Amino acid sequence: MDLIQQALPAFLAGVRDTIFYCISAFPLALLFGLILALMSSSRIIWLRGPARIFIEIVRSTPIIVQLFILYYGIGALLLQFRLETLDNSWTAGIAVLALNYAAYESEVFRAGFLSVERGQTEAALSLGLTSWQNFFRIILPQAVPLMIPPFVNDFIYMLKDSAIVSVIAGTELTSVLNTWVTHHGSNPIPLYTLAIVLYLLLSLPTSYIARFFERRLRAAL
Amino acid sequence: MSYVEPSVERRSLRLFKEKAQGEAPAWLTVINSLFYVVVMLAIIAFGYYLYTFQRDQGLLTLYLPFLLQGAEVTIVVSLISMVLATIFGFIGALARLSHFAPIRWIATIYVEVVRGTPILVQLLLWYYGVGYVLSSIGFDPFSIAFQAMTALQSNSLVPDQFNGYFYGIIGLSFNYGAYLTEVFRTRIESVNKGQTEAALSLGLNSRQTMRRIVLPQAIRNTIPPFTNYFITLIQDSALLAVLSVIELDHQTFALALPQTDANVKFFVFVLGALLYLVMCYPLSLVARFLESRFARAY
Repeated sequence: MDLIQQALPAFLAGVRDTIFYCISAFPLALLFGLILALMSSSRIIWLRGPARIFIEIVRSTPIIVQLFILYYGIGALLLQFRLETLDNSWTAGIAVLALNYAAYESEVFRAGFLSVERGQTEAALSLGLTSWQNFFRIILPQAVPLMIPPFVNDFIYMLKDSAIVSVIAGTELTSVLNTWVTHHGSNPIPLYTLAIVLYLLLSLPTSYIARFFERRLRAAL
Repeated sequence: MSYVEPSVERRSLRLFKEKAQGEAPAWLTVINSLFYVVVMLAIIAFGYYLYTFQRDQGLLTLYLPFLLQGAEVTIVVSLISMVLATIFGFIGALARLSHFAPIRWIATIYVEVVRGTPILVQLLLWYYGVGYVLSSIGFDPFSIAFQAMTALQSNSLVPDQFNGYFYGIIGLSFNYGAYLTEVFRTRIESVNKGQTEAALSLGLNSRQTMRRIVLPQAIRNTIPPFTNYFITLIQDSALLAVLSVIELDHQTFALALPQTDANVKFFVFVLGALLYLVMCYPLSLVARFLESRFARAY
């Protein structure tokens, strides 16, 4: 109990950093995912092809490998141009989380857009709206409520996946846990319990909120 | 992670085909077919890039055997974990559907806790936490395996990092067991209730109903999500690198980090990622094929 009391402030700082990683990476992932989704449903293969290739490559390599490539690989290349200070654990961590999740979010966006009935588009176009107006006025407002539950789910996944930033010396909850465990190696179980409880405090309420919204949406549709 | 409905996926494909076959102007067709030429050229260029490293520094022949060793470990670890995870998931699903409330609560707590915490923390907990406590009461998987293999006169097969393998595999399968619990549970519940009622009224007892009627129908439906989880499991096995298991990710890292030449460093990382791609992409194609097959059946 004493150990937990000692460790708590450092762990809470770790929680703050974890949240910071996620709330900076997730909007980027959404933005980039939207661009990817629009690209991958384009008629021009010069837009569709690169987007599909990016999505497939990101989805079939482990996130930790991508992290190593971005942190050590790109860092080594940047060293040649004396730009290595740009590639620290914050930028590499946020970039990897954003790029990796963009690939998953783009699929959510695409499925959301496709779930709006085609008749709506046809009706809008025959009423004289441009395809731009059709997308922003007709499709997007109907698709967004459907996409919120998967987005919240992915946000929870991101809260958990941000733990891998600890392998490139980021400063979030898991790396705080690691440093405390190396200093108090004789009694590690309370520290692990504390970290797991903090992660549960982050993820369980979010998932209950997501489930609540999902139920309300089901009722509304 | 995000699960796209197969029907949506297929519909999107159909829409693409309609669009592609529809009123595509000639310039679009020309430009689009040019894209494939460029992609082919890019693949050739990448092959040439690999070849020049090979020719100038012999890097490919130097590193590929090590990376393939790592890939082998990755595959073995993933296969064992998947088998164990299936067992965990199966027991978990039956426990969650149990009529005895405390068993159901334990299973629910298992699923919620495991799904709510990062897999990295769980692996560290198994290796440094549980492993430490168990070794302090005299349980050491390495020495047990070593003694057992000595009795079989082949103790050189036991790797030095056996504890990492042991707790890593347990951690991975414990984690994926929770996800598979939910998969199995939803699929068992999705079997029509009339089937159970019919079986019970025909005089089968509840165990027979489960084994002969419900499970055969439920397992059929679990195969596509099962493949998807297998792909993510191969990727997550990269996390075993932090338990100093010498798998593909650890091997790549160990080869790349001492390099002073930035290009060589980058090359080794890309090679490692390429091997993961070679392992996972065919599997994801298989998953997509199975999804379309199973969506059509019945």
